[in-house]
Amino acid sequence: MADAEPVERPSLRVVKDDCYTDWETVYADNVAGVYRLVFRRLGNRPDAEDLTEEVFVTALPRLDLPAPIASVRGYLHATARTVLAAHWRRHYAGPPVTSLEDDVRVTPPPLPDCEAGPQTARLLARLPDRFRRILELRFLRGLSVGQAAAEMGVTVGNAKVLQHRALRRAAELADEVPDP
Amino acid sequence: MSRSERRIDRFVEDLLTSRRPRRFHASPEELSAMRAAIRLRAARPGADVPDPTFVDRLGRRLRREMGARAPRPALSRRRLLVAAAGAAVAGGVAGIGGERLAGRPGAGGAARTGRRELVPAGATWRPVVAIEEVADGEAVRFSTDAVEGFVIRRSGQYQAMSAVCTHLGCVLQQADAGHLQCPCHRTAFGLDGEVLSHQLPQAPPALPQLRTRVRDGQVEVLTA
Repeated sequence: MADAEPVERPSLRVVKDDCYTDWETVYADNVAGVYRLVFRRLGNRPDAEDLTEEVFVTALPRLDLPAPIASVRGYLHATARTVLAAHWRRHYAGPPVTSLEDDVRVTPPPLPDCEAGPQTARLLARLPDRFRRILELRFLRGLSVGQAAAEMGVTVGNAKVLQHRALRRAAELADEVPDP
Repeated sequence: MSRSERRIDRFVEDLLTSRRPRRFHASPEELSAMRAAIRLRAARPGADVPDPTFVDRLGRRLRREMGARAPRPALSRRRLLVAAAGAAVAGGVAGIGGERLAGRPGAGGAARTGRRELVPAGATWRPVVAIEEVADGEAVRFSTDAVEGFVIRRSGQYQAMSAVCTHLGCVLQQADAGHLQCPCHRTAFGLDGEVLSHQLPQAPPALPQLRTRVRDGQVEVLTA
């Protein structure tokens, strides 16, 4: 299918000296990664945009550039964790959305070149058929409750109950499957 | 349905319609269900890619605020391009201070309008349809392992674009008179990928374009 002709692709990140020298590059290089990190713990765009903004507005003035890429990313990550924790406390009186221990590391966070799909697919695969089906229709295909109910041949009320039970079960399993 | 179930239900509805969820004091059980819902929502392909308009807007704000603090450091254009390309690959054409820093040269509107262009990591050119299958002013659906798309021919030029609605990810259907229709919420896109009509609180973004070329009578698309 594919020919062997080399494809011109832009480099993914700055490599020169492994240092950031200006905030513009810090922003351009990390905005997608910070957004992805935050979105995966909020699940909605308006909040993810607000918190991404808060991370950069807070962190950029405090950076002492030039600085190594790894430490800048570590700092952005730490700021994101703080901002997320405050958001969850304020909004739901609960701890941050996932155990963030996996984020506590000095190495740079992954840049947004991987999908969250595989882990979630494994999670879904462990659910009973009807639970998996309702969650796929609603969350992955974006169907309304009515559409999902019609697709599954159940009433809207049944679909809601099914969704609720499926989420509860997924929540239990999620503790066993590491978060992306 | 219990009060707790109704709250979770509402939270899920908010997530699925890209609304800001309302605040409430959540029990540990509720928090657990909410986390599962967020995780599922974030797993939809492309869900966690920032909107280029947002990236632009925040870049402008930062430039204003950072500019007030210190003189702007001398910046090599090449270096900025390399950096911006990272964000562009992530799904948005990143610009700082309104500048377009990355874009596709040549035909099509991507560079001019800042439209998203999808170039998956590890992409190669793949033939998707024969040129004679696409009449002028028409769209032809294709699927690869990585992408659902349309090849559009306008004024003799071929352009491939995503066939996935930018609202909630439903696959678009071809309707009459050059409309691409979303079966989920009645959003309609034109053959240029721009939104023609919608019933949503906010217009969804235009359809991302795919890098396209013609080789040996085949329309080829750069995809994984």
